[in-house]
Amino acid sequence: MSIIKTKNLVKVYSTGLMEVRAVDNVNLTIEQGEFTAIVGPSGSGKTTLLNMIGGLDRPTSGEIIVDSMDITQLSQKQLVDFRLKNIGFVFQSYNLIPVLTATENVSFIMELQGREKREIDARTKEILSDVGLADRLMSRPAQLSGGQQQRVAVARAMASRPQFIIADEPTANLDSKTAEKLLDMMTEINKKENITFLFSTHDSRVVSKARRVIVLEDGKIVSDERK
Amino acid sequence: MLIKLAWKNIWRNKVRSGVILSAIAIGLFAGTYLAAFMEGWIIGTVKESIDTDIACIQIHSPKFLANYDVREYLQGFPDVAEMPDETTISGRIVLAGMLQSANNALGITAKGVIPEQEKTVSAVWKTIPDSMGVYLPDDIKMPIVISKKTAGKLKVHLKSKIVFTFQNANEEMQSVAFRVCGIYKTSNSMFDENAVFVKYDDIFPLTALPENAIHEVAVNFPDLKTCDWVYPKIKAALPGLEVLSWKEINPTLSLSLGATEFFGAIIIGIFLLALSFGIVNTMLMAILERTKELGMLKAIGMSKNKIFRMIMFETVFLTFLGSVAGIILATIVLTPSLKTGIDLTFMMGDTFEDYGFSAIVYPVINLKMFVEIAVLVIFAGILSAIYPARRALKINTIEAIKTE
Repeated sequence: MSIIKTKNLVKVYSTGLMEVRAVDNVNLTIEQGEFTAIVGPSGSGKTTLLNMIGGLDRPTSGEIIVDSMDITQLSQKQLVDFRLKNIGFVFQSYNLIPVLTATENVSFIMELQGREKREIDARTKEILSDVGLADRLMSRPAQLSGGQQQRVAVARAMASRPQFIIADEPTANLDSKTAEKLLDMMTEINKKENITFLFSTHDSRVVSKARRVIVLEDGKIVSDERK
Repeated sequence: MLIKLAWKNIWRNKVRSGVILSAIAIGLFAGTYLAAFMEGWIIGTVKESIDTDIACIQIHSPKFLANYDVREYLQGFPDVAEMPDETTISGRIVLAGMLQSANNALGITAKGVIPEQEKTVSAVWKTIPDSMGVYLPDDIKMPIVISKKTAGKLKVHLKSKIVFTFQNANEEMQSVAFRVCGIYKTSNSMFDENAVFVKYDDIFPLTALPENAIHEVAVNFPDLKTCDWVYPKIKAALPGLEVLSWKEINPTLSLSLGATEFFGAIIIGIFLLALSFGIVNTMLMAILERTKELGMLKAIGMSKNKIFRMIMFETVFLTFLGSVAGIILATIVLTPSLKTGIDLTFMMGDTFEDYGFSAIVYPVINLKMFVEIAVLVIFAGILSAIYPARRALKINTIEAIKTE
């Protein structure tokens, strides 16, 4: 069952007299539960493509169908609500809220969604335990290592059981050992919860773990392989 | 959740929050202290003037005040129904004349009063120190109470003999000798220089006025509010007489009261303006510092409304805490002076008293005023936070996330 579908997706940036086609006529279908890496050299359009799929950016033309809904037709307000309810984000530099504990960071989105406290508490404990941070519930980001912070970020993204998770270069700021551990953890959760992961990455380790690898060059898909 | 996050956010940069909190607290302290001081000063001056000199309401024959004509008298107390129980009334004979001692002579106004009645209206008797005699006692023949200023000018002291000369209702000059039985001192030099008190029964036979004649009825109440609502009733009940409230008798005092409120409002306004700039600056810095985080919040689905509210909560917390600290500080500093007062003579000697203002100020802690100022500060804070909050909402999510 496809969860994301792009049709003739184009993103053009105008810089003065020049026009840059950051994403050029991309047609892509992502299935439920896929663990997909989008790779390509710098400037190939990976992040732009993810930003559009994640509802952070609007395409110049084309459609993005998520769960039978074309999100390019949504208003800005509807997009915010769509992101809150359907997408989990993992950023390159973790982007946790420094004044909140690991528990509070994870429960934050569920609280924004207005879920019940009991459900939030149970899910937060469960997911933090899944990412191996059961003993760091009350730690603030500054008290955690980079790898631990990124695990909290993954837990935050997954906590509300979104339709899919977008992770932009999630291992870029981690050393190889920590990155390896994080990827193992993410593949495990992917299997356990059947959550769809969509990465952009340069990292060969991510590529090796991915079950589908899409290669972008100059905004076009040049290769799409399933393992 | 928003409230919790906003509360934690204000403590992420303790120094900056501490500085703005201190600025609010000090500003509010200064504002409330000044307001309490000014209110105490003016209310004290008004109250003292009413209690010693003019009373809340005065009733005269319509032409009396034009030139203090002895023949413009009232026949006893006018009949006014529906006076509050706590009303005090004193009838006075008021005679303009000359007071002479062996050394000097002064123009003066003598008030012939019934001591027990007058004591309920005027507090002059309370301003006579123990060493300076008593207020119109029965055991001294022809007693007169004069002020310290008058005593100084006439070079007289307790038990000295002085002569009061005036023209009676038959246009005959009358001179009568009195013995100084008490020397008073109020905080109003102008009043002190002009007023002496004698017994009604001693002076009345010389006035050639009919029985029970009086020139002035002084009416007093425990507070000014009662005066404000009773005055129109008395005025309406006595259409043929001149009924004046303290505001009409002494417009300068009334004006001072209004001016104090006006200047107080200006000072508070300036403080709020300065505070607003401080809050705009602080919140802008706080938002610029958190660009990446705000971008992330928008990305994960936090609505503009919630981001706006979060920033507003932060401002409300800062201003509320600053206001509470300022009020507590003002209360702590003001409390000791509530009873002892603040003596201003060290600044300008007797100058204040010379102009009819009390030199000892008893600040007034007016809870309503404190709350009003605090609410104004919080309101100014909220208004000031709108611009920074709007800046936060305009942050480009994608650009913000990339920020290092």
